[in-house]
Amino acid sequence: MFVCPVAAFLAENLRQISQRTISTASRRQIENRIAEKQKFFQEENGIPVHLKGGVMDVLLYRATMAISVFGTAYVVYELLVASMPKKQK
Amino acid sequence: MAHQAHSYHMVDPSPWPILGATAALLTTSGLIMWFHFNTSYLLALGLLSMLLVMLQWWRDIVRESTFQGHHTPTVQKDLRYGMILFITSEAFFFLGFFWAFLHSSLAPTPELGGQWPPSGINPLNPLEVPLLNTAILLASGVTVTWAHHSITESNRKQAIQALALTILLGFYFTALQATEYYEAPFSIADGVYGSTFFVATGFHGLHVIIGSSFLSVCLLRLIKFHFTSNHHFGFEAAAWYWHFVDVIWLFLYMTIYWWGS
Repeated sequence: MFVCPVAAFLAENLRQISQRTISTASRRQIENRIAEKQKFFQEENGIPVHLKGGVMDVLLYRATMAISVFGTAYVVYELLVASMPKKQK
Repeated sequence: MAHQAHSYHMVDPSPWPILGATAALLTTSGLIMWFHFNTSYLLALGLLSMLLVMLQWWRDIVRESTFQGHHTPTVQKDLRYGMILFITSEAFFFLGFFWAFLHSSLAPTPELGGQWPPSGINPLNPLEVPLLNTAILLASGVTVTWAHHSITESNRKQAIQALALTILLGFYFTALQATEYYEAPFSIADGVYGSTFFVATGFHGLHVIIGSSFLSVCLLRLIKFHFTSNHHFGFEAAAWYWHFVDVIWLFLYMTIYWWGS
């Protein structure tokens, strides 16, 4: 999955940190967006880091919690079933 | 606004530790349901929740370090200790399987024909695909070191090339091992030879897949400018893990594949 974008990059001159000439290639270039991310995640809004990214964070968290709660309840149920004697005729 | 007067990282409250524990509960219970009652729904739930927890927990660590700057040198030092301790624990894990192999192979019982490999077992030729696999992993150790040097020297293009090559070599190893497993004339059910062979090499293969995944995440982060020339611990941790996987293979090759044939 990561091989294709890598192959694209291998074929082009990327802007180096050491200030080489900018390529005039018209191929797709990844830009350094770290400063934006840093500003976004350092905003003092009181949101904990696991939810700070936005709506997707909340959805993923809820999905994970739902699976865990449901699964734990199911385990307890199966334990109860497995620990009851089966009726033998 | 209060700021800390120490160099440690006091993390935000997080649900991942406890959800990771429930994922482990679901996975282990799921294994029991699968073994004893032949249903795999719980196991699937367990593995899914494990994957979700890992993705979100590690995503948060990237946010805390690269985006929020919490990984001071103190924190980094402690993370190094942690990774070394973890890899040491993995070494002990494999030690157990090597012990099991040596226990059975050093003094083969009469039931095995008093010999190792046991009667009726045709072992794989160590000079064929296993030798190629050895070369592949050794080469990947070189390429990952090349990638590290490229990162410290701020050579972005070479770092990406070298890390990509490392990952490709890892995939190549996995693909070759998969064909070996498919073509092998013996199975895991073939007595203690089959058990020790497939459990030891199987867990190693799983660790190759884990290591390749870790390196792939590092490649993505490398492309997205997360690493600097003097702060790239995520990559170093992945490289340590990869070298560990390589060393385990060398022991596997020398004992099980070569001596054991």
